[in-house]
Amino acid sequence: MATDAKPSDDASFERVDWDALESEFGGLSRRQTAFLGAMAAFALGVAADVAVGGPLPLLGDPAPLDWLFRLTLLLGTFYVVLPLYDDPRMTRHYWRQFKRNTAAVISLGYLAVVFAVGTVGPTFLPRPELDLLARRQPPVFTSVAADVPTTCAGEVVNGMCHGTWQYPLGTNAQGHDMLHLLVFGMEVSMQVGLIATAIIVVVGTAVGTSAALFGGLVDEVSMRFVDLLLTVPTFFLFILIVYLYGGSLFLMILVFGLLSWGGVARLVRSEALQRSEEEYIRAAENAGASKAWILRRHVIPNVSNTVITAATLTIPFLILAEAGLSFLGLGDPTTFSWGQTIADGRGELAGAWWISTVPGVFLFFTVLAFNFLGDALRDALDPRSEV
Amino acid sequence: MGMGLYVAQRVAWALVATFVMLSLTFGLLAVTPDAQQAQFAFQQAQEGASADEARETYQRVTGKDGPLFDRYKEYMIGMVTGDWGWSHTRSQPAIEAVADAYPYSLMYGIPATVLSVVAGIGIGLYSATHQYTKADYAGTFLAFFGVSIPNFWFGIMLILLFAVHLGWFPSYYDTSHGVWTLANAKQLVLPVIVLSTAAIASQMRYARAESLEYVHADFVKTARAKGASEWRVIRHIFRAASVPISTILVADILGLLFVASYLTEVVFQIPGLGLLSYRAITQNDTALVLATTLIPVFVAIVGNLVQDIAYTVLDPRIDYGDR
Repeated sequence: MATDAKPSDDASFERVDWDALESEFGGLSRRQTAFLGAMAAFALGVAADVAVGGPLPLLGDPAPLDWLFRLTLLLGTFYVVLPLYDDPRMTRHYWRQFKRNTAAVISLGYLAVVFAVGTVGPTFLPRPELDLLARRQPPVFTSVAADVPTTCAGEVVNGMCHGTWQYPLGTNAQGHDMLHLLVFGMEVSMQVGLIATAIIVVVGTAVGTSAALFGGLVDEVSMRFVDLLLTVPTFFLFILIVYLYGGSLFLMILVFGLLSWGGVARLVRSEALQRSEEEYIRAAENAGASKAWILRRHVIPNVSNTVITAATLTIPFLILAEAGLSFLGLGDPTTFSWGQTIADGRGELAGAWWISTVPGVFLFFTVLAFNFLGDALRDALDPRSEV
Repeated sequence: MGMGLYVAQRVAWALVATFVMLSLTFGLLAVTPDAQQAQFAFQQAQEGASADEARETYQRVTGKDGPLFDRYKEYMIGMVTGDWGWSHTRSQPAIEAVADAYPYSLMYGIPATVLSVVAGIGIGLYSATHQYTKADYAGTFLAFFGVSIPNFWFGIMLILLFAVHLGWFPSYYDTSHGVWTLANAKQLVLPVIVLSTAAIASQMRYARAESLEYVHADFVKTARAKGASEWRVIRHIFRAASVPISTILVADILGLLFVASYLTEVVFQIPGLGLLSYRAITQNDTALVLATTLIPVFVAIVGNLVQDIAYTVLDPRIDYGDR
């Protein structure tokens, strides 16, 4: 994004890309050094986890999924947040474009809250545990017939059990606090949405650019494979694979990521082919730049907007797919996915209406927010796709 | 490239895609530990037989002791000739179980498809010709709502409101009613609403985008200049936009409906393909799971083929050379 060169850019002294100049003198730029350092620290952490096999100092005992999530956040920081921070002028420009869409701004705020709560919350909250005395408590300000909960935590008036602030959103049939379940569900949805999307972006960009770069057989084979990926309804492949190999969240995310990159790859390939006809690429070629250099310095930064938009629009599909699989009982039994909570409330509709309702509302708004966000990003980042 | 060659190429591609998918599923099955085998081994162990013997017996009975390539050949021939394995939970061939179930899926799938096509194209056209009006914003909102709402949760909410609280519709599907009875129509109302919401939304989005390309076209301006009525103008636009709109139907809407109907059937307990597949999953009936998940895959491949061919037949401007 940072190097999205526009003809109107002022070429003043401040605009010189010092990173590029520094790296030309054989050394590494500050950002590259920081990135390599972070990657090395990450690799060290994974290696230590594998070697020790138990809890680590400072880090606790992260599961493979946690490592993957950290890697995703690391990539996000270096490829989305830092470039925006480095180029305040472009960032302001994007923000002005983006700000026009009120729904998208609200969505961004909502998603930021869900992300923060979902990432931090589960480390502080205790895992929900079976509590037979706290079953089916109604949310605060509502009431149900007193025979629905085992024992009413609030007051009982005229045979109606009233909700209390102890369980602001009520509890489910296992006595899990709905609020805790919501927070744990946020973690699952964010992990599915972000990690799988990171896989999609990395694989899709790699395949798309190499198809455009090498052409010939590589192009033919990889694009035929993409055709196949896009023809087949992936949801049914998810069902089949998760059925056969068991539904751990780690496997699910991997399968989602590795089967859904077709659209991004096709997009990147066609963008890369289009861009390689442009003047500045010709100029770079004439100056003796290698194909790989052109790809890395000129093509990838210029297709990144398209990639980010496409990636944002696949997140809702992935979150819905995970919720759907969990609803079918194919999800990870050790996590508290929203889809699973909704399924648990399916048989309780007559008494405890809130069990299915509450997580569904959050699932709906999360998916809606990602759709709004993707739509606004397309308008702000990609002026060519006017729909 | 001529059109005949192009069509032949697409058909060949569909065959290759089918072949690859079948090989892929064989590969997946071949490296998976078999749940039924574990169960059988457990039974044998209880009766005092050794685990190794049990495994050998099981593999001999199910034909899994042969070399991999022979098994692959057998599997592929079986798939092509309609021998899709034996459903042990239903004690009938998997393909027969599917044949028994699919009328239930069609019973609400067809009304939902018709509804979503008509309403989706209608709203999309209206939105496009009335761009940036309140009606257009309402339509866009509807589209966002439709693509974002998790359909299984939407179904549960409809049951909660209309079945549990208001009691207008039954909450579960009851197979004892005849197909053409009022009671049957009544219990299909909620599933049709759930299924068509998502389909209307995506159909509408697409119809709006396609129609917008022609709203400011010269022939539309001419029609307006001649004083054509609004209805006539819309017809002009529809004629031009109908080719791309109708081709999206075949593959995309079909795929969407398959995914949506899977979860919808589980929510409403309609004994169609989705519920059959769901029950097969919970009961570890691998042959039936395979059959019920492969059918949508094949339908999608054929749908894509039909879409490609329909596009070339309907729109003579298409260039076959490039993809």
